[in-house]
Amino acid sequence: MAAADLPLLKPALYQTAGTEVTPERPALLGGECACGYWFFPLQTYGCERCGSREIKPRALSGTGALLASAQVHRHAGKSREAPFTVCSVALDDGPVVRTLIVEGCGPLTVGQRMGTTLAPVTDLEGRAALDLRFEPET
Amino acid sequence: MALNDLRPAYVAGIGFHRYQFASETPYVDLGLAAVRAALEDAGLPWPAVESAYVAKALLPMAPGRAMLRHLGATGIPIVHIENASASGSAAFRHAVMEVAAGLADIVLVVGVDKPMPVARAEGLARIGGLADDAIAPFTHFAMLADAYAAKSGAAFEDIALVAVKNHKNGSQNPFAQHQKVRTLDDILNGNKISGSFTSLQCTPVGEGAAAVIVASEDGLKRHGLGLDRAARVTASAGRSQRVYEDATRYDAMLTEETAAIALREAGLTPAGIDVVELHDAFTVEEVEYLEAMGLAPDGQAVPMLKAGEFDIGGRCAVSASGGLIAMGHPIGPTGVGQIGEITRQLRGEAGTRQHKGARRGLAHMVGVGAVCYVHILEKA
Repeated sequence: MAAADLPLLKPALYQTAGTEVTPERPALLGGECACGYWFFPLQTYGCERCGSREIKPRALSGTGALLASAQVHRHAGKSREAPFTVCSVALDDGPVVRTLIVEGCGPLTVGQRMGTTLAPVTDLEGRAALDLRFEPET
Repeated sequence: MALNDLRPAYVAGIGFHRYQFASETPYVDLGLAAVRAALEDAGLPWPAVESAYVAKALLPMAPGRAMLRHLGATGIPIVHIENASASGSAAFRHAVMEVAAGLADIVLVVGVDKPMPVARAEGLARIGGLADDAIAPFTHFAMLADAYAAKSGAAFEDIALVAVKNHKNGSQNPFAQHQKVRTLDDILNGNKISGSFTSLQCTPVGEGAAAVIVASEDGLKRHGLGLDRAARVTASAGRSQRVYEDATRYDAMLTEETAAIALREAGLTPAGIDVVELHDAFTVEEVEYLEAMGLAPDGQAVPMLKAGEFDIGGRCAVSASGGLIAMGHPIGPTGVGQIGEITRQLRGEAGTRQHKGARRGLAHMVGVGAVCYVHILEKA
């Protein structure tokens, strides 16, 4: 199976297609409240800013600025193997999201531009899938 | 209405069981040791206690009566408070409110915990994040260190000086989990954990207990006691995270607004604080929170740390107990233990780690969720 045909590991959180603004970058599946607040991930319990339940899905563009990163040397559990690098990214659409950075991308500088991509991974049952990662924008 | 509109509440007794690595000792022994020490320190008999708050985050449901009945089951109300890392701080706040409101004269606060598997409610409440399992607390704070270094220009080696100071303080505290002086080299060459953190820049996992007796002047008088060794609680502030304009700074914003409320309540400025115990589970937190609370100008906490301003004997002693990094962070006891340390400092009874002339102390805790507590104590 070609990588592009693999199922998404967490399809409730992101999609292969981008937004109109960044069609090449997988979009994050967030929410938008009637008050104007954009958030991630989507939930319908109520808006964290105003309490309203007038919430609709909002695909968020997969680009932003690097707030911080850290190479993790210790990891409990079998879900992944250390070392790996995580990052915190302030999306251009507002929310701050955190996940892994693609392997082997070299040193990072706070403030640099980052974008989403899909990377092949193996899920806990050993099946191949695609998971969302950030990579430096070139 | 603020705390100072009610009658004064005092810390009249303090007691600890040493914070330590996980052992076979039952939690009952840990907790009772702290409670008995606090009663003895206060000069009060157990039957004088009218109400008890038990702080725990990890122990199973309702450990309080199963422990306290061994002092004699007097039938007093017992309530358990779980508020993550801030469990002990929250329990203390409620004991203070009960005394200040006049509902009780003598109240026990005891924090006790042992390492146990942790389950977090946040994962049950919503769809998980992109990689929650990959971002343990040490990684959350490793990223905060990365952002802090980028913003302030501080070197990671200099941020690690927080650990040098706090391990040195802990080496003089018989109740600390880590009681060993460490050089900067020891700390930087330790096991790598996450980002710039090595193991000695992170709080250890452990167990222990801390207790304090909160009392009114009337209650103490009734037992023939005065206020000579008491510390007055002059502010108690508790907050939880809001949606801030700048979503990237919620850790600092939460501490900033909680500390501001407490300082206003006590009628103090940050410059008036002599001793601080804060949530230094990871080195960067100390400098981040000192700036958020106004004890250092933005970006200046590391230069001030290097100049010794936060040492015992410096401008303001920070984490004189050893803090969470050296004294430890058994969770339930931690916030109670901070109050114990500050009281000891205000009494002038801290021995070799005494900050001379300590008159006003501030205790700060954050807990996942996120919640924040700040208490201010002053020499009575």
